Amino acid sequence: MQRRTLFAVAAVMVAFLLICGCTGTTTGPDPVSAEKQQLRIATTTSLDDTKLLERLSTIFEEQYNAEVLVISAGTGKALEYGQRGDVDVLMVHDRAREDTFIADGYGTNRRVFAYNYFVLVGPESDPAGIKGMEPKQAFAAIREKGMAGESGVTFVSRGDASGTHSKEKAIWKAAGLNYSADVQGSGDWYLEAGKGMGATLTMTNEKQAYTLSDIGTYLAYKGDLELVTLVDEGDTLLNVYCAMQINPEKYPDINSTVAKDWINFMISDDVQKEIASFGVDKYGQPLFYAAQNDWEKIGVTEAEVTDPVL
Amino acid sequence: MYEIIEGFLEAARLIVTLDPDVMAIAARSIIVSFTATISATLIAVPLGTTINFGTFRGKKSLINLIQTLYALPTVVVGLLIFLLISRVGPFGSLRLLFTPTAMIIAQTVLILPIMTGLTISALSGVDPVIRDTLYSLGATRLQFLTNIMKEARFAILAAVAVGFGRAISEVGAAILVGGNIMASSFMSSTRVLTTAISLETSMGNIPQSIALGIVLLVIALGVNLAITTVQHR
Amino acid sequence: MIELVNVSKRFGDTAVLGGVTGRIERGEIFAIMGPSGVGKSTLLRLIGLLDTPTGGEIRIGGTDIHAKNGQSLRIRRMMGMVFQKPAVFNSTVSENIAVGLRFRGASEAVIRKKTEDALEVVGLSGYGERRARTLSGGEMQRVALARAMVIEPEILLMDEPTANLDPVSVEMIEELARRINRDLGTTIVLSTHDMYQGQRLAHRISVLMNGGFAQVGTPREVFTLPASRDVARFIGIENIIRGVVTAGGNGTSAIDVGGTLVRARSPFGEGEAVCLCIRSEDMRIVPAVGGKAVLSGNSLPGTVASIVPRGPFSKVTVDCGFLLSSVLSWKAVDALGIREGSRVVVSFAAESVHVVRAAQG
Repeated sequence: MQRRTLFAVAAVMVAFLLICGCTGTTTGPDPVSAEKQQLRIATTTSLDDTKLLERLSTIFEEQYNAEVLVISAGTGKALEYGQRGDVDVLMVHDRAREDTFIADGYGTNRRVFAYNYFVLVGPESDPAGIKGMEPKQAFAAIREKGMAGESGVTFVSRGDASGTHSKEKAIWKAAGLNYSADVQGSGDWYLEAGKGMGATLTMTNEKQAYTLSDIGTYLAYKGDLELVTLVDEGDTLLNVYCAMQINPEKYPDINSTVAKDWINFMISDDVQKEIASFGVDKYGQPLFYAAQNDWEKIGVTEAEVTDPVL
Repeated sequence: MYEIIEGFLEAARLIVTLDPDVMAIAARSIIVSFTATISATLIAVPLGTTINFGTFRGKKSLINLIQTLYALPTVVVGLLIFLLISRVGPFGSLRLLFTPTAMIIAQTVLILPIMTGLTISALSGVDPVIRDTLYSLGATRLQFLTNIMKEARFAILAAVAVGFGRAISEVGAAILVGGNIMASSFMSSTRVLTTAISLETSMGNIPQSIALGIVLLVIALGVNLAITTVQHR
Repeated sequence: MIELVNVSKRFGDTAVLGGVTGRIERGEIFAIMGPSGVGKSTLLRLIGLLDTPTGGEIRIGGTDIHAKNGQSLRIRRMMGMVFQKPAVFNSTVSENIAVGLRFRGASEAVIRKKTEDALEVVGLSGYGERRARTLSGGEMQRVALARAMVIEPEILLMDEPTANLDPVSVEMIEELARRINRDLGTTIVLSTHDMYQGQRLAHRISVLMNGGFAQVGTPREVFTLPASRDVARFIGIENIIRGVVTAGGNGTSAIDVGGTLVRARSPFGEGEAVCLCIRSEDMRIVPAVGGKAVLSGNSLPGTVASIVPRGPFSKVTVDCGFLLSSVLSWKAVDALGIREGSRVVVSFAAESVHVVRAAQG
C-alpha cells in the first residue's frame, strides 16, 4: 500500500512539473505580460560583460513594457544571427562589416551610440618591452619577441571574428604583416581564445600574456586581473559601437516597432547621459563615452548619432 | 588554494541563503531537462517497445544504430536543432531559437537514443518465462505490453534517470539553441546551470560557478539516489 | 480433446519433433515423458500456442489451434500453463494470482474471492500481501499454479513443474495437480523426465523419443510392457539382452542368447531377432550348491561379476555367458554368503521376461 502511495505522489509531481514545464516554456503570452513584446538583441560581448546592457535594458523594459532578451555573442556571431533573422537588433562594433551587412540588405537604421578605445594590456613586467609604443609598433615587437621564443611573450587573440578581433587584424595589417600568413599559426606565442572579451581577459591573465581589449571590459574586469594598460594611444584604437535593426524587408515578421524604439532609446539624451556616466562610481572613469556630441571626433555623420529612426 | 576555499565558502553562502539568481537558474534547469525527459520518455518507451517486440528486417542493425547514437555529441545535436529552427531553417517561422522550448527540443533529441536503447534493454531483460506466462494467462497484445512494461518498470525508470542526467548536465546544445539569455522574466531566460557555469567560469566568477556546480551535482546525484532507493525496495 | 496430427517442429536445421501423433482425452492427466532435450517442452509450447509447429496440426475440440482464424485468444484462454522455472511477477502474491483474472476483466470482488480461495488451496493463506519475489522456489511454483488455476482453464499444461524443487514441494504440487484434475475436471498435460512422477500422477503416459511418441499407454502398460528396447531402457529395466527366437508357439518361446537358452512368453516366431527385458527385482539368486531354485522357468548358473552398493540394496551382477543384474538387500547378500567370483544360480520365471522386437538397425 505504501508503494502505491509513493507512486501516486510521484505521478502527481510528474504531472505538476509537466504542466509547469509546458505552460512555462511556451513563448506565448501569459496573463501578466499579455502585451509584452519581446526584443531579441545579439550583442558584442563587451556591452554585456560590462553590464551596461543589463542596466539599459532594465530601464527600457520599464518604459516600453517590453522584454529584452540579450544574446551575447561577439560581433561576428551577432551578424550571423542577424543574417539568419534570428534576432531583431544588433549591437556591434565593426564598421567595415556593418557596412557590408547593410549593403547586402540585412540591416538598416544604424545609429552610433557610444565609443571608447581599445587598449593593449599585458603583464606589468612587460617582457616584450612595448610600454608607450604606437599600437602597430607594439604589435610588431610582440610578434618579433614571440617568434624569437622570448619567454613570457604570448599574445591571446579573441579569435572569434568579433569586432575586437577585426580591430586586432587591422592593426597587424597596419604593422605590415599578413595576418593569416605571418601571425595566425606562426608559433606558440599566438593563441586564439575563441571566447568573449571577459573570458579572453581571464585567460590572458592566467597566462600572463598580452591581449587587445576594449577599455570598458578591461576596466570592468580590472579588479580581478593582474594586467596593466601598456598601449592606449593612437587613432587606430578608436572603438565605435552602433545599434541597428534587422531589415524588415528581409524578414517581415521581425519585431520592427520595438527594434526602432530600442535604437531611438539608445540615442536619446537620457540614455546618452547614462552611458557617459556608467561605471564612473565604480571604476573612477567611464567605460564608454556617449557618441552624441562627439560625432566629428569619431568620424560619423551627425545624422547617425542624433536622427531618430522612423 | 585560497581561491578554491574562498569560492566554496561563498558558494555555501549562495546556496544556504537561497540566492535568487542561483535558485532561478537551478529551477529553470530542472524544468527544462525534466520536460525534455518526459517528452523523450513518451517517445522512447513506446518506440523501444515497438522495436523490441517487433519482427522486421534490419532490427539488429537498427538497435546497433540506436546504441551508436548513445554517443551523440551534444554540440552536434545543438547545431542540428539550430539549423532546423533558425529563422531561415525549415521550422524558422515558429521562432523557437533562443527559447527554453528550443532547449527542450534539443535535449529531447539528445537523450532519445539512449532512452530508447535502455528501454529495449530493459524489456529484453525481462525473463522469457514471464513473457510466456503472460501469454499463457490469456493476455491480449496490449495487456501483454503493459504488463511487460510493469515488470521492467525499474529498468525503464533507470533509463529515465539516465536520460535526465544526460539532459541536465549537457552544455553544448543548451548554449547553441538557448543562447544563455538572462532576461527579466523567468521563462524567457535560457540560462541553465551548465551554461551559467560555463559563462561564470570563463568570466572568473568562481564562487558563483562553484555554487552552481554544487547545485547541479546535488540534482544529478539526488535523482539517481532516488531511483536507486526505489529499485532496492 | 486434444489431437496431435503428425506435429513437427524444426529450429533452424535442428528437427526437434518429427511427426508426433496422439490423442489426449478430456479430463485425464496425460504425461509426456522422455529423456531431457527430447522436445517435451517444445510440444507443450506448441499446444499452449507459445510457438507454431513447422508441420502437422494440433486440434482442440476439432479446431486447428494454429489456424489464423481470429480464434487464437479464445483458445489461449482455454488453457493455463505452469513452467519449469518458477517465475513470478514483481508484485505481491495476490496480484500475481489475479493477473489472468484481470486480463479477463473480472470484478474486484470476484478477484479477491478467487485469489483468496486459490491461496488457501495452494497452502499460502496469509501470504497475499508478500512480495512474490521473496518466496522460495517451491512457494513460487505454488503461486504459479494458483495463478494458472484461478482462470479455471479447461486444459492445464505443466512443463516439468517440479524439476529442481525440494521433495516436499514436489509432493505438494503433485497433490494439487491431482486435486485440480479430480475436483475441477481439468485436463492436465504434464511433461516430466521423472518416470516415477509420470507413474504416480498420470492416467496415461506417452514416451517421447526420437521426435515422436514411442509408446502411449497406462502407466502399467508402459512400465510392464515397454514397446521397444529404448522405452525399456528409459523406464529403468536394467537387463536388456539381445537374442534370437529358436522355437516358438503357444505364446512360449525359447530364445538363444549367445548359446544359452532362455524361456519366455512372447508372440514372436522362430528366427526373429528380439530383446529380452527383465527387471532386476524379478530375479532370484541362489548358491550354486545347496540352494534350491524357487521359481520354475529359467535357472542359469553363473559367476558373480560384481557387487555394487545402491542405497540400502546391493546390485549383484552375474555372468551367465551374458550379464544379468539383480537387486538384493545387504542382509540377503550376507545370508547368501556371496562375493565376487562366487558360483551362483540366477533364476526367474518365463512370465518375468518381456520380449520386444530388436530395434531396427
